[in-house]
Amino acid sequence: MEEVSFQMFAELFFHTLGFWWIIIPAMLLGLIVGAIPGFSAANTIIILLPLTFAMEVEQGVVFMVALYASSRMGAGIPAILVNIPGTAGAAATPLDGYPMARAGLGQQALAMSFVASTAGGLLTTIIALIAMPWLAQVAFFMHSVEMIVVMLFGISLIATIAAKNTLKGLIAGLFGLMIGAVGTDFVYETPRATFGFLELYDGIPLVPALVGLFAISEAFLVIEGESILTRRGKELMDNPSWKASIEGIRMSVKRWWHITWCSLIGLVIGVIPGAGASIASFVAYQQSRSYSKTPELYGTGHPEGLIAPEAANNGVTSGTLVPLMVIGLPGGATAAIMLVVLQFHGVNFGPQLFGERPEIGFGIFMAMAVTYLLMIFTILPLSRYMTKVTIVSTAFMAPVIISFTLVGSFVPREFGFDMALALGFGVLGYIARRTNYHVAAILIGIILGPLLEQFFLRAIRMANGDLTVLFSSRIGNGLWIALVVTIALPYVLDHLRARRRRRETA
Amino acid sequence: MTLFDKPFDRRTLLQGSATILGAAAASSVPFAGAFGAGFPDGDISVTVPTRAGGGADRNLRAFTGIWKKYLDATFKPDFKPGASGRVGYEFFMGKKEANGQNLLFGNMGPEFLNWVVKPPTFDLADLTYFARVDTDPGAIFVRADSPFKTIDDVVAEGKKRTLNVSTSRLAHPASVGLLALGEHTGAQFNLIPLSGGKNTIAGVVTGEMDLGTLTSGSVAAKGAALRTLLVFNDENVAGDRLNNAPTMNQKYGTSLPPLLSSRAFGIQTSVIKDHPDRFKILNDTIKQVFADPEYKEAVIKAKGIWEYINYGDMDDTAKYLKGIEEVGSKFKPLLTGKPA
Repeated sequence: MEEVSFQMFAELFFHTLGFWWIIIPAMLLGLIVGAIPGFSAANTIIILLPLTFAMEVEQGVVFMVALYASSRMGAGIPAILVNIPGTAGAAATPLDGYPMARAGLGQQALAMSFVASTAGGLLTTIIALIAMPWLAQVAFFMHSVEMIVVMLFGISLIATIAAKNTLKGLIAGLFGLMIGAVGTDFVYETPRATFGFLELYDGIPLVPALVGLFAISEAFLVIEGESILTRRGKELMDNPSWKASIEGIRMSVKRWWHITWCSLIGLVIGVIPGAGASIASFVAYQQSRSYSKTPELYGTGHPEGLIAPEAANNGVTSGTLVPLMVIGLPGGATAAIMLVVLQFHGVNFGPQLFGERPEIGFGIFMAMAVTYLLMIFTILPLSRYMTKVTIVSTAFMAPVIISFTLVGSFVPREFGFDMALALGFGVLGYIARRTNYHVAAILIGIILGPLLEQFFLRAIRMANGDLTVLFSSRIGNGLWIALVVTIALPYVLDHLRARRRRRETA
Repeated sequence: MTLFDKPFDRRTLLQGSATILGAAAASSVPFAGAFGAGFPDGDISVTVPTRAGGGADRNLRAFTGIWKKYLDATFKPDFKPGASGRVGYEFFMGKKEANGQNLLFGNMGPEFLNWVVKPPTFDLADLTYFARVDTDPGAIFVRADSPFKTIDDVVAEGKKRTLNVSTSRLAHPASVGLLALGEHTGAQFNLIPLSGGKNTIAGVVTGEMDLGTLTSGSVAAKGAALRTLLVFNDENVAGDRLNNAPTMNQKYGTSLPPLLSSRAFGIQTSVIKDHPDRFKILNDTIKQVFADPEYKEAVIKAKGIWEYINYGDMDDTAKYLKGIEEVGSKFKPLLTGKPA
């Protein structure tokens, strides 16, 4: 086995950089498919499998990894500019990204999202490269009980949202959880609330729910005005300049620590098989808000509310590759497709891979690092020019959003039913917005509810129905305490700040 | 008046969207009529009732990679996972045209057990598995550093406490094998369905489960990370790739039928009657694949076990399904959680 050293990594870096002719097209393709609702790295790699099978194994790996990493960043673009989170991993991005875009700060928002994505992705890839054997151990300690608590971190966002209007927030969250329960149960496969629709047996498909609740309902709303921009936003967008993008970069660099710890949340969650970007982005958002000095600004266009999910979902990208390479278990759907390609090329996974074929074992992470490095050069031009989308009249914007999202709803499963479902969710989202119910609370229930149920049923079945199993592990108990602390902390901080203000005014 | 200041309401919006979608749909029509008159008439669509990236995906790609040489067609896998395969089967039988261009690639064992547990909406006689690709016996496995070195260790521990066992799904031949082992030895097992082979293996490798039960081909593909302790077949034909584990019948003197997963191509039964010429082409070219040395290379390269590749015709699959039906009926109460 070649000795692991700085020199080896340096050689591997320049070797990987030599694949720029694969990385750059794959990166551009990833940005495009990431930005189209319904498309994702996973289904694009599936479509292009014949190509990757035909390539040399190393070239195929570089191609897939570049596409995977850049698609995550691409998914943030429509989420911020037109409120379309095309994948579940970008579901938390519009919460603060879209209000920024409406306020004419789209350039800053995109720049922040891109910096958080590239810096978070690059940082976690380097950490994964160095600390792979230890990181892989996370999967050995995060079992069903621990995952229940991780899910509750994300679901507790419903309570946070409900803080503004307790009854409506909780109703929306519970409604989302109920919708999330549609489909067959995880043990005996008994259909629940499917109303005979075959298309609902596998649960509510996420993309139609996402685009319906966010994008289509938004399209119904924005046609009531001429532009998605506020009056102030229009004024700002009348004089676009590079300065706004540079300001966005500056704002994110100033929040480097925020990017760091949110991307680390993503990395750790990404390592756990069965978890994923949607969980990571909601947990990071919830954590970011809990420890913020200005939690009340979240949801109104808070920079940290945008940075948190974007840094986290890019942290997941490198995380999902760790268990794949070290123990042969893919951490997510895209990693599973990569497994097929690598197995087709006869690659053996596990510790021996790093000795036998370091250009694959370490190379997969180096390809990701190089991709993130090259993506840095796209930040300025993309944020400068993509933002122009927001000045398009709603007369064009709304039908295009609806058409794109309907096609996007169809793509993942190729069921016409999903297009109707997206429209249904669009109407639901429109009614919810008109009556001041928070669509994000509904969505959190839909995305995280089934995952929570799955881990809960597994834990309970393993313990033969004994509920005390929920408090049976040290790590789980530590997470329970952390959960209570993070939920209580904002209230405690609010109380302390109010007391301080009273003292100062007295 | 420009488009930008034209009055715009919700009705116009929906009309606009419908126009765009209509135009997109219409643009695909000329392609549909452009195919030739022969068979196959364009792509062959293969409905796969599991997710992309799993064992069925791997097997299908290895097979169709060779089959396309003989059939002169491109194969388009159409993954329709959900509800233990129910979505894919119902979709195939309900929505795919019966013309020989649409096939199903299923895992007969677990998926037919599913029908024993809960019948489908279509008549099972309307679906025919016409070409078996492999027979992959179930196995019991642990992770490489598990304290259980042999099946005796498992049984001994299972008599002291209930062991948690990961399985792909309850209605699976490997799950039935485990239940049979428990019934024969008195060891207590608690089956935990984890939705798919990858999760089943992950449950064991990460240490959450005591052991797992799955198709042995998937276990062998993980190499040294797992150790196989028992195989549900008449003979362990994979030998050291499954750690030379004994079979249940060898170990305990039982007469358990082979509990096999078996991937096979299915077709609407009406195609056999209505398009016998097409059906013959499909059958003849499939047989050519098995005789092609490149297929063996592809299977081995994809970490498959060549000894499991085992062509079977309609009679073979019908016989196999009868066996699965009998085994499934026997263990139905345990698989459904509803006592008889």
